[in-house]
Parts: sequence; structure tokens; C-alpha cells
Amino acid sequence: MESPISEYILLFRGTDWGKDLSPQEIQNVMGQFNHWMERLSQHGKLKVGQPLASKGKIISGKTTRTVADGPFAESKEAIGGYWLLKVENFDEAVKIAGECPLLNYGSSIEVRPVLEKCAHMQWFDEHPADGSALTYEQVSG
Amino acid sequence: MSKFQDNGNSSTGTVSQLTEHLFRREAGKIISVLTGFFGIERLHLAEEIAQEALVRALQTWPWYGIPDNPAAWITQTAKNLALDLLRREKLFRDKQSEIAVSVEQWSTDSVTEESPLFETEIREGPLRLMFACCHPLIPQESQSALALKTLCGFSAAEIARAFLTTEAAITKRLTRARQKIRELHIPFEIPSGWELSLRLDGVLQTLYLLFNEGYKASSGESLVREELCSEAIRLATLLAKHPVGNQPRTHALVALMFLNGARLPARVDAEGNILRLREQNRSLWNRAMINRGMLHLSQSAAGDEISEYHLQAGISACHCTAVDYSSTNWPQILSLYDRLVLIDDSPIVALNRAVALASVDGPEAGIKAIESIRNRQPLASYYLLYVVLAEFESQLDEFQGAANHLRQALQLTRVKSEQMALSKRLHECEEFL
Repeated sequence: MESPISEYILLFRGTDWGKDLSPQEIQNVMGQFNHWMERLSQHGKLKVGQPLASKGKIISGKTTRTVADGPFAESKEAIGGYWLLKVENFDEAVKIAGECPLLNYGSSIEVRPVLEKCAHMQWFDEHPADGSALTYEQVSG
Repeated sequence: MSKFQDNGNSSTGTVSQLTEHLFRREAGKIISVLTGFFGIERLHLAEEIAQEALVRALQTWPWYGIPDNPAAWITQTAKNLALDLLRREKLFRDKQSEIAVSVEQWSTDSVTEESPLFETEIREGPLRLMFACCHPLIPQESQSALALKTLCGFSAAEIARAFLTTEAAITKRLTRARQKIRELHIPFEIPSGWELSLRLDGVLQTLYLLFNEGYKASSGESLVREELCSEAIRLATLLAKHPVGNQPRTHALVALMFLNGARLPARVDAEGNILRLREQNRSLWNRAMINRGMLHLSQSAAGDEISEYHLQAGISACHCTAVDYSSTNWPQILSLYDRLVLIDDSPIVALNRAVALASVDGPEAGIKAIESIRNRQPLASYYLLYVVLAEFESQLDEFQGAANHLRQALQLTRVKSEQMALSKRLHECEEFL
């Protein structure tokens, strides 16, 4: 029972790539990015897009919770924003990500399919014979 | 919320609708205003804040849409960044609070608010910066680079492309210029009294060189070079509007820029080959620029001085007002060159005079005039000398000599579009042999 995945998250990585651009280049890139974004949202392919603040908290700890300032990723790795795409398939999502004008300036994009079920459930759907010994309650518990 | 959740307001406009060069202009404004607050020795800090404000816009606008007043948004951001910096760093010692007060008073909406303080900053700031950048104690080659960086918002890479040099070389020039400003305590002010006239000449000279750099035969990236011309025109016009710069010779310079700039669109054909004046399609000349040039030329006709800018603008006006090549007023052009050689003894000017002379008295007279100057440096290695000689010789049907001179010219230019034009002419000459 494989249903086609239609939603993809684009994670925009890199937050300091604009530092070395000239004012004119900044304006040009901004124009290109905006044009690209408007086109995709007009075609109904872009559902939501939001930037992320550069500062946040990281919560961890198995028994006692630790709250630390984060994210600590280098600005090259830090996520500057995300998009939620609604497209036909993975290839289309990857193709759209490849059109991003920010890539020319050292930014990178991670494309991840949004699953309708959690990964374990999906695995069982795809491998019914192997999973026959276990019940759904045991895995999803 | 992002603009996706806010469809009712989706008509705010797209970034592509932003005023052309808005970011460059805003960078220049912010730098000159902040330099007024921080002091010229902290010019670099002002440049950094302007850059950061634009980066913030880049990180925000694409997601949320363009603010209604983009310029005010950028200024407000720069103001906040400046205040943050003042709170965080102890860079200015005793002046800290004084500067903070000035920054606080910085009106970010120049359109609606009528703050007399800000009006002055906006009006005077760029001129003060112009006088500082073009200070005679700063090396000439650094002056243009610094003006482009601080007043026109060019990056070192863009300046390097325009001047056909490396980014590292430009960065070095800029660093040296800023260092000179600090070491020599170059003031951030418009000079007055006896000093004004002298310093104004320096500014005009730098703007003239800036324009020429862009106007020179299309080597390098033609787009960025044409931008040098338009930036030079913008700064010179700014100067001419201010009471301090509103001098006949400033208007003459502005006129010369407009009148030459107007002919840029017709200088190359579709393949990028350089066209001679007689080959140019005059309907491509920019009429609006010619009109503005003529207006400034009439404003330059005041007082009793005739600068080299007056004469050059006059020559350009003769070309611009001739309906076709054959109706060019060559006697008038020749008389202007006759006066120009008295002020400017450059062999290049003399070479140009020879062209005018040949058009009035015939090619033999032109060749004779060139014979008397051809050994002057740097003319002997200047490819146009041979192009002009070849032109005169082909008018006299001396195609062998013309072909030889064209071959010499070809060896002396490395600009592709010029090489192509010269090869074409050489080929035409050879057909007569």
C-alpha cells in the first residue's frame, strides 16, 4: 500500500552567505529569490515558507532536562528558513531546490520527504510478511 | 507571519519592483550620515553597518514581502545596528553618549519628517564624503575607488571589474586610503574660503577620471563600465545642485558627461564592434541626455573662466547637435581644440586636434600635424595614432601605408572589439592593393 509522497520540506542552510555581497548583488539576489518564490506559490507548489530566528534553545537529557542556548551549528550549517512544498514527486522537489538563487552564493538546501506515517509504520506497510510476528501496538507504543 | 498566511496583503509589491540601485543608493546615504556621527576616522565602521543593514533586508524581505517604505526600513535597521554597537562596544570613549544622542535623532523617514538636522546631514553628507575621498593627499588611484565604495555602494570586486584589476589590488587601495584619512586627520567637511576652489578642482578631476574610466573603449565588462559613467554623472549632478559646487566649471563637467554619455548606445554594433562617429546610427543617441547636457552647458557659460571641461563639452556639443556626420561643424571643433591644446598639452589632445584639422584642411594637413607630435610619449605606443594615420592615408588612396599603420595599431591594442574593427578595416584596405 504505497501512497505517493507529495509533501517535501526544503531546509535552507547557511545564514552568512550574504556578508560578502555588494549592495547591488544583495538587491539582485533578493529579486531573484522573491520572483522564484512568487512563481512557485502562484502555481500552488509552495504551501508555507518561513524564516527561522538565528537563536533558540536546545532541550536534552534522559532523566533531567537540560536547556541550553542554541543552535550551535556553524552559520554555514545553520538553518535560515524552511519551505513546505506540495509537488508530484521527489524529483520535482529536488529540481525546485536546484533553482534556488541562493545556491550560487554558498547556501545549501536539504530536501526531505514529509511522511504521512512515521517511518516504522511505513516499513511495516511495505514489508507485511517480515513484520507479521509483531503487532502494531508493540512498534508504535 | 509570512506572506503566505497574509494573502490579503499580497499586493505589497515584489522585490523586482524596487527602485533601480536602491540598495546602492541607501548604502551610500547611510555611510555618509553615519560617518557624520562617528567621525571620518571610523569610515569603515559606517560601511560595515550599511552592509549589515542590507544583509538583514535580504534575510527578511523575501519571506515577509517588501515593506511599504523600503528605504526607511533599511535606515531604521542601520540606526538600530548603530545604537547596538554604541551600547556594546566602548569604541568612542568620551564621545559615546554624544554620538548616541545624534544617532537617536536620526530620522529614518526622510520623506515625511522634516527634521532640519537630518536635512542637513542628507544634503551635506555625500558632499563632505566626496571632499574627503577626493582629498589631494590621498593617491589619485585610491580616490576613485574610495568614492565608488563609500558613495556609490560598489564592492571591491565590482570596482576591480570596472578598473580591470584584481580585487586584492582594490582592497589594498581602499585600505591605504582609509589609513591616510586617519593618519592625516583629513576632515569630514566641505572646505570653505580660499581652500574651496582648489579642493573643488580635485573633486571635479576625480569625477572626470571616473567618467573617462567608464567611457574608455569598451574593454572589460561593458555593463559595469557604463555604470561608472552613470555614477560619475550622478555625483557631478549632486555637486552642481549644491551651492558650494554650483560653479560654471562644475556645470561644464556635467555637460561634458551628459553629451558624451548620450552617444554611448551607438558606439558599438550588434556584434560588439566599435563604430566610428561617421558609422554611428545617430537615432540611438540619447536625446534626453543631450538636452540635459545642453542645459548644463548653458549654465556653464557664466563668469569669466573657460576650463578644459568647457572646451571638451563644447566639442561634444558640436557632435551631438550635428544631424549627420557630413554636417559636423569642424571649423568650430577645430577652434575649440586650438584653445584646448593651450590648457592641456597632452599629446592625446593634440592627436584629436589633428583629426579636426584634417576635416577642415584635408588629410595632408592632418598627417603633417601628426608628424610634429608622433615622437611624444606615450603617443608612439598609442594604437589610435596609427589608426588616425591610416585613416588619413586611405583618404589619400595611399592604401599600402594605411595597411601598414593598421597592422601596427593591431599590435598595440588587446581589446577584442577594437581588434575586430581594425581587422575589418585592414581587410578593406588590402582589397585596394
